[in-house]
Amino acid sequence: MKVLEIRDLHISFKTDSGKVKAIRGVNLDLNKGETIAIVGESGSGKSVTTKAIMGILAGNGEIEQGSINYTWEKHESAEHGTIEGGTADIVQLSKEELQKNIRGRKIAMVFQDPMTSLNPTMNIGQQVMEPMLYNYNMDKKSAYEKALELLELVGITDAKKRMKSYPHQLSGGMRQRIVIAIALSCDPYVLICDEPTTALDVTIQAKILELIKDIQRKKNLSVIYITHDLGVVAKVADYVNVMYAGKIVETGKIDEIFYNPRHPYTWGLLSAMPDLDTDDSILYTIPGSPPNLAQEVVGDAFAPRNKFALNIDYRLEPPMFDVEGSSTHKVASWLMHPNAPKVDMPQELRNKINKMLKEVNL
Amino acid sequence: MSNIILEVKDLKQHFKINRKFTVKAVNGVSFEIQAGKTFGLVGESGSGKSTIGRSIIRLYNPTGGEVLFNGENISGKLNSTQNTLLRTKMQMIFQDPMACLNPRKKVLDAVAEGLDIHKLYSTSSERNEKVYNILERVGLSKEHANRYPHQFSGGQRQRVGIARALIMDPDLIIADEAISALDVSIQAQVVNLMKKIQSETNTSFLFIAHDLSMVKYISDYIGVLHLGHIVEMGSTEEIFKNPIHPYTKSLLSAIPSPNPKMEQKRTSITYDYNSSGIDYSKGSKKLIDGTHFVLATDQELDEWAN
Repeated sequence: MKVLEIRDLHISFKTDSGKVKAIRGVNLDLNKGETIAIVGESGSGKSVTTKAIMGILAGNGEIEQGSINYTWEKHESAEHGTIEGGTADIVQLSKEELQKNIRGRKIAMVFQDPMTSLNPTMNIGQQVMEPMLYNYNMDKKSAYEKALELLELVGITDAKKRMKSYPHQLSGGMRQRIVIAIALSCDPYVLICDEPTTALDVTIQAKILELIKDIQRKKNLSVIYITHDLGVVAKVADYVNVMYAGKIVETGKIDEIFYNPRHPYTWGLLSAMPDLDTDDSILYTIPGSPPNLAQEVVGDAFAPRNKFALNIDYRLEPPMFDVEGSSTHKVASWLMHPNAPKVDMPQELRNKINKMLKEVNL
Repeated sequence: MSNIILEVKDLKQHFKINRKFTVKAVNGVSFEIQAGKTFGLVGESGSGKSTIGRSIIRLYNPTGGEVLFNGENISGKLNSTQNTLLRTKMQMIFQDPMACLNPRKKVLDAVAEGLDIHKLYSTSSERNEKVYNILERVGLSKEHANRYPHQFSGGQRQRVGIARALIMDPDLIIADEAISALDVSIQAQVVNLMKKIQSETNTSFLFIAHDLSMVKYISDYIGVLHLGHIVEMGSTEEIFKNPIHPYTKSLLSAIPSPNPKMEQKRTSITYDYNSSGIDYSKGSKKLIDGTHFVLATDQELDEWAN
């Protein structure tokens, strides 16, 4: 079942230097119980997309066109009563409706830095209980019980004692667990994780990712990850969307993106990632820098940084081409056109992928 | 010839919180850095890796131990020549390039600040010429000199940070999480730049990070730090090919790899100091082979080797 469906989303920001077209036609689908990842450089628009889903765009942001359709099933529970199934276009909803029906209750978000997203003057228990008291008017006792349960779910030992702690008394990993518990407190269907582990150490990073995966299985959640770390993506995602300059340039199943990438930008991203076997040669970098979206982009936004760019790339924007033999793998690059010259991925990347395939015996 | 540029002997850095409680952030750490080499310090947050960097460059006053820089002891009271040596020949690059650049200063002035303080030029055109040269070295152009920090992208700002350190022509640069705040593709650019500079100027680096894949890539020697102790130290190859200490093993197992099929099966090894029964203060430095050391007691070493 489709939970979230974004169609042709355009978002722009009014700034001193003119209108910045941050999102230029994004399509995205999220099914129940699945995990999708949005990957891209900073400034590619991945955070803006998810902020639009939550309805928390900055004041100067404007959704110019497009729709974000959210569908939910009938849901009955003792705590929240009956919630009728339905569908809503988040773009059309008023602020009040969003706040009342969608945000927190149905879609919840985990932010990057757990220190800045927790209130330093409230204890953990109050913060975990707050959304339940606010959204569902639960009585304090049952909210307390539920909060205890949640803390145990996110792997906090000695939950009763921790309810009285303050954020500064906990480590970064613990804090992020609390943030996840708060996000889960109103039983959302969709969890958005915006760089959930960037501020954390590698050892804790692995634990948090395993935790989110585990909870997702237990609660049949749909999860959207935003990250620039391909290692994280490889661990958690079912589907990957590669974003560049406000557009999705390649989308597909995780195996398709990692083992059979087609867009030159995806090649660049995969090549730039050092693995433990990289020998002491120079690391690959994508030349140039992302385009300034305050100016009109003509043709393919990636063309100036792309050594495989064709003449047409500088004039016409490429549509999404299907990769033959797959119904999920789509690429926005003129190189996929049947009349385009055959261009294969760089040899170093080919070697890297072959080695990865060998490791898993495929 | 391998001459030693920095020698840290039994460095201790304690912070007194109140009468009863003292945080022992760094508790007896020893290592050395050779000229033109990179020493990587890895460990989780709170392990004391940043504290070591800050103690060496004297942002803190070390509680105990010795730091020898070019043969001079710089851990005690400094006389004026020692102070000048320390402040010019040792430089630091910080994590967040936006936070360490004054937003109201042009890049030209930000980079030249060290020159101004130590009066290392005779005319202002000489000063500007020096800045332009350094900017070019780090991959920026002369035109960038008259801009302000907010007009740069994250990667460019970190280049400015590197330029500020380089203009003093240092022997040692301490890079404290210098690439953690950057995107993957920009991390690669900055790391390549550091390597290029090292090969041109023979500068030594103390590279502090928690991202092991980048540390492996840039470092010649690695020290693994946990709770203020170096638990394992050796050349990059020795650490990655043959990790002995359980903490090193858990760190290595946590590195995500860009291989989905592998990654979905893998679970990381957990390491908990309190339940592991290891007491760092009892262990001593044990030589494995070559330059590879582990902090352990005899009994623990036997256990881990098997």
